[in-house]
Amino acid sequence: MTAPRQLHIKFFAALREQAGVSALDVTTSARTPAELYAELTATRRLTLPASLLRVAINDRYAAMDTALQTGDRVVFIPPVAGG
Amino acid sequence: MFELTDQPIDSAAWRARLERPDAGACVVFEGWVRNHHAGQPVTKLEYEAFDQMARLEGEAIASEAEQEHPGCTVLCVHRTGSLPVGELAVWIGVASAHRHAAFLACRQVIEEIKRRLPVWKKEHHPGGAAEWVNCTTEATTGRLAPENYYARQVSLPEVGAAGQGKLAAASVLVVGVGGLGCPAALYLATSGVGRLTLADAGKVEVSNLHRQVLFTADDVGAAKSTVAAARLRAQNPLVKIEAHAADATPANVRALVAGRTVVLDCTDNFATRFLLHDACRFAGVPLVSAAVYRFEGELNVFLPNAAGCLHCLWAGRAAGELEAVANCAGAPVFGPAVGVLGLMQAAETLKLILGLATAGDGQTTRLVNLLDGSAQSIERPTQPGCPVCGHPLASLAAVPGPAHVPVTGAHSSRVSPEPFSPNTLKDPIVLEAGELAALGPLQTVALLEAGESLDADSAPAGAVAVPTHDLPRIRELAAQGPTVLVCRHGLRSAALARLFRAEGFGKIYALAGALPAIRARTTAN
Repeated sequence: MTAPRQLHIKFFAALREQAGVSALDVTTSARTPAELYAELTATRRLTLPASLLRVAINDRYAAMDTALQTGDRVVFIPPVAGG
Repeated sequence: MFELTDQPIDSAAWRARLERPDAGACVVFEGWVRNHHAGQPVTKLEYEAFDQMARLEGEAIASEAEQEHPGCTVLCVHRTGSLPVGELAVWIGVASAHRHAAFLACRQVIEEIKRRLPVWKKEHHPGGAAEWVNCTTEATTGRLAPENYYARQVSLPEVGAAGQGKLAAASVLVVGVGGLGCPAALYLATSGVGRLTLADAGKVEVSNLHRQVLFTADDVGAAKSTVAAARLRAQNPLVKIEAHAADATPANVRALVAGRTVVLDCTDNFATRFLLHDACRFAGVPLVSAAVYRFEGELNVFLPNAAGCLHCLWAGRAAGELEAVANCAGAPVFGPAVGVLGLMQAAETLKLILGLATAGDGQTTRLVNLLDGSAQSIERPTQPGCPVCGHPLASLAAVPGPAHVPVTGAHSSRVSPEPFSPNTLKDPIVLEAGELAALGPLQTVALLEAGESLDADSAPAGAVAVPTHDLPRIRELAAQGPTVLVCRHGLRSAALARLFRAEGFGKIYALAGALPAIRARTTAN
């Protein structure tokens, strides 16, 4: 088992409404954004499928299997709709 | 530059910031809030942004457009907050010396915003209902969902979801965005190759347009890689297309081919062909190479660990010498011939990624002739002791210095325990008529395709006509003494001469170019 890590999560748009909060600090054993989202869907009743989401770590797009580090700012990005 | 604001956008003020005396064009795009979407009335839009990241991404989008379209100034501003119908949501302005670059850059910015700017909008309908655009079930089955885009390809048993995944994970480099590179890149993009890089330092010329199908008359003068990349992004927004406005050179070739799944040689010169071939071999990347001469084309797949490389194929001829007789730059070319060969390159590339390629694909030269409709596969020669492919890959990778064999002296100074025989090294295969005459008496063997005939009056004295496919008969004739092979276009004769040379015939040659005495029956009128 790897040691649990502290992460800062922010939610936007549809995910913010589903999560009921716009920011959340968690301590988790999830190693990647994919594992973290799976954990959140259970605890926060998020209904957007993971296949629709992208993730930003520390304000940059990253892969869903990137290794998370303690202190990372993680934002799941629902399908964008700018313009 | 890029800005995010919760205040109304003053488009006139933004436009004034673009003014510069050398600009001859200004293209502006405005995105407005409209009163309907997908058949539903809309009363207002609520924009939400992931602020700090949106600023970073927006700035990156604007500066990428300025880099890819040199000379353009890009300004962009995006709204957040609650916007009524008719309000300006996004404003993009591009100033440039000429209109074409400005149109391209402006288009690129709005498409990239829609693809990656972390901004969302909530649509409000009369009566209070509201929904986040693109986050409902409608979006999951949207018209550009991968499962729809590739549906007719994924349903091939040879592809399937697993194969489509392999394509999405693939990284392919296309060197040369011309007659071969345009159709090859087009089909690789539409097939879903995840990352496609287009390398070409050239600009679009009017004389390119008859065969380089990604370019339009408006593109003349613009960088080929940039125009092609923009065109392919529009064709398939699901894949990543990168423009690299430079040719492959000894300085950049290692970095260009590193980590690629497959590399395509769509160039028209031997120097680059040898360079790419050697860099791919050292990097362990398959190379799919094609060349066209008028109505005919030749396709070779070079696998990094297989014997029978480009140096074996052109045994004894350095790139510099080959340029003189077989360089295609500026040569006459039948448009569909480069089209067909470019698509064959795309097909071989997809087969390699999908695991559908056979060992034979990497060991044969495939010849196609659009004038007589013939196609032929010839086993590629292997030169024992070839300094490039006759050694294990590991020992090659350890060789210091640039990853290519110098183009002059194709067999390089690299020490080989079993060098080519002096005969193979010093005896060129494809020769001009004058060089052939200097070799002394040679028997002429004219290779004929179906429908071709040898005109006895204008043919060299004693010339024997043999069907191209009759390899045993050609072997028999070659065994009788020094022989020169000729054909109607010069490609088959060169390929067969190389083959027989590899079989051990020391005195077999090919005439560079066509033998006019070989006629096609169809030209009777």
